[in-house]
Amino acid sequence: MNRRRFANWSLKTGVVAAIAAVIPGVLTLRGRSRVAATRALAPGDRLVFALGQNAGQPVTQGGFTQNEAVLAYPEGKSDNHENLVVVCKLDPAAIKAPTDLAGVAQGVVAYSAICTHLGCTVRFSEEPMEQAPFPHIHCPCHGAMFDPQKGGTVLGGPAPRPLPQLPVKLNDKGEVIVAAPFSAAIGVKA
Amino acid sequence: MRVSDWIEDRLGLERFRAKYLGKPFPVHSTFFLGEIALFCFVVLVGTGLYLALFYEPSALNITGEGGALPAAYASTLAIDSHPFGALIRRIHHWAAHLMIASVLLHLLRVYFTASYRRPREINWLVGLGLLGATIAASFAGYLLPYDQFSVTATAIGYGIARSVPWVGPTVADFVFAGQFPSAATVPRFFAYHVMWAPLVLGALLAVHLLVVLKQKHTELRAPGEKPDPAEGRWIHGIPLWPEQAALMGVLFLILVAVLAALSAFLPVHPSALYGPPQPVTPDVKPDWYLLWVYGALRLIPGTLSFRFLGATIGSEAIGAMLVPGILTMIILLVPWLDRAPSSAYYAEHPTAAPGRLALGLAVLTLFLALSLAGFGAELGLSVPVLWVITIFAPLGAGWGVHLLVGRGKAEATGTGR
Repeated sequence: MNRRRFANWSLKTGVVAAIAAVIPGVLTLRGRSRVAATRALAPGDRLVFALGQNAGQPVTQGGFTQNEAVLAYPEGKSDNHENLVVVCKLDPAAIKAPTDLAGVAQGVVAYSAICTHLGCTVRFSEEPMEQAPFPHIHCPCHGAMFDPQKGGTVLGGPAPRPLPQLPVKLNDKGEVIVAAPFSAAIGVKA
Repeated sequence: MRVSDWIEDRLGLERFRAKYLGKPFPVHSTFFLGEIALFCFVVLVGTGLYLALFYEPSALNITGEGGALPAAYASTLAIDSHPFGALIRRIHHWAAHLMIASVLLHLLRVYFTASYRRPREINWLVGLGLLGATIAASFAGYLLPYDQFSVTATAIGYGIARSVPWVGPTVADFVFAGQFPSAATVPRFFAYHVMWAPLVLGALLAVHLLVVLKQKHTELRAPGEKPDPAEGRWIHGIPLWPEQAALMGVLFLILVAVLAALSAFLPVHPSALYGPPQPVTPDVKPDWYLLWVYGALRLIPGTLSFRFLGATIGSEAIGAMLVPGILTMIILLVPWLDRAPSSAYYAEHPTAAPGRLALGLAVLTLFLALSLAGFGAELGLSVPVLWVITIFAPLGAGWGVHLLVGRGKAEATGTGR
C-alpha cells in the first residue's frame, strides 16, 4: 500500500465513521418522548373547566344551559394540550347519527377542541350567525365549521376530517365523566 | 505619530484601499433596497444582543407577582419594563418587518429588470436563500415572547409541519423538538433564532456581497452607450469611499430614525396586551408576509383532500405546502425559465420584455389575491367569490399588461403584429 492509497483509504474510513457517529446525535434533535403517551385522557376521568373562575371545578350537566358549551380537561391532565375538549349541551332530540348516541348523556355531547385542520382551539357558536347553521362549532383560524349535532361532521371550510367525539356519561352527582376514548386521532394528521 | 500612520505602518491598508474603496456604486433609488435590508440586519443584531441579555428561554412556569407565568413570557414583560426596554423590543420587531419588506422589494427590482440573468444566477439563488432564512428567523422569533399570539402562531406552524405527507409527524418532531406545545420547543427556537439564524444570514450575506463585488452591479444602459459590453464598459456610479459611504451612513441613520419613530408610536406585538398562553385560540392572522399562505389555507376546502400512495394529502398540506412549494419552485427557476438572449452586463427596462413583466405581475397579483382571501370574512366576500378573484385577477393582470406593453412596443418600432 503506497502513501496515496493509505491517505485515500483513511479519509474515506474517517468520513464514514464520522457520519455514523453523527447519526445518533442528529436523532436526538427529535426531542423528548411525547407527553401524550403518558398523560392521555382515559375512561373514568372527570371533566373539569379549563378556563374562567370555575377552572378546575367539575363540569356538571346542570351547570350550563342548552346551546351552551364549555372548554374542559380531564381532571389533573391539563398539561396535555390534546386532552382539551369542548363539552356542548344541546337539544337531546336534535342529536342525530353519525353521533355516537351511547356517548351522549342528557344532551351533553363532547368533542375534541383541537381543530383537525391545523390544531387551533375551536369555538362553539353562542348565538345564531349569518350564513351558518345553529348550533355549530367553528375554528377562528381558517374558518373550518363542524356540526355538533351530527357527530362533529364538517359543515364547511378547510377541515379534512370531523372533530373526534369523546363519549361521556354522567355520574350520580351529574358530573360529566369520560365514558370511552376519543372516536379518532386528535388534531392534525398527515 | 498619527494613529492612522501607526495603523498603516503595521497593516499596509493602502493597497486594499486602492483596490476596493473606489468600487463604483450606481445611484438609483431602487439600488438602496438591498442596503436597507442589510442595515435592518445590523439593527436586528444590535437590538437582539440587548434582548438576549434578559430573555429567559423557558416555557416552564415561574411564580412572580402576577401569579404563575411561563418564564419566557415573564422575562418579556420584564424587558418591557426596563428603561427603553419596550422601545428596543419594538425596534427589533419593526426591523424584522422592514427587513422582509426590503428583501421582497429588492427581489422585485432584480426580477423586473432581469438582473438575474447569466452570470448572476448564483446571486438569485443566494438572495432567495436570504429571503427564506429571514422568514424562518422571524417565525422562530415569533414564539419567543411566549404570549397567547406567539403560541397560537407556532401551533399553526406545528400543524402545518405535521400535515406533510408521509413524513409530517417526524419532521414536526425534529423541527419543534417534540410535540408542541411542550417545554422543549422554546429553548430550541431560541437557539434557532439567536445562533443559527444570524450565522446563516451572515454567511449568505457575505456570499451575496462578495459575488456582487466580483460581478459588479447591473445597471441600465446609458443612452448612446456601446451595445456590446465585451468591448469594454464603464460602470456609472460614485465611488464607495467617500461618496457612497456617506450616503450609506445617512441612509442608516434615517432607517434608525424611522424604526425608532414607528416603535415609539405603533406598539408592534404588545405581549402584555395579548396575555400569557391560554387554551383558547384568539382571532389571529399571520404577519403580512405570510397572509397569502393563510389565505390559501382558508380557500382550500377539506373536500379537496385526497389519498396518494398510502398518505393523506390534506387540504392543509395543499394550502401550506403544495401551493407555496410550487410558487417557490417557479421563482427559484426564473433564471432558467427566461429564454431571452442573455444580456450579461446590463439590466433591462421592465417593459423591455412583455412576457417577463406579465408573468411577474401575474404572480404578484396572485400573492395579493391570496392575501385578500385572508380578509374574506372581514370584507364580506364568500369563498367562491374569492376563488374567482384568485384565479382571474392574476390572469387578467398578466394578460392585460402583456397586451398593453406588447402593443406599445409594436407601435414604437413600427412593426405591428
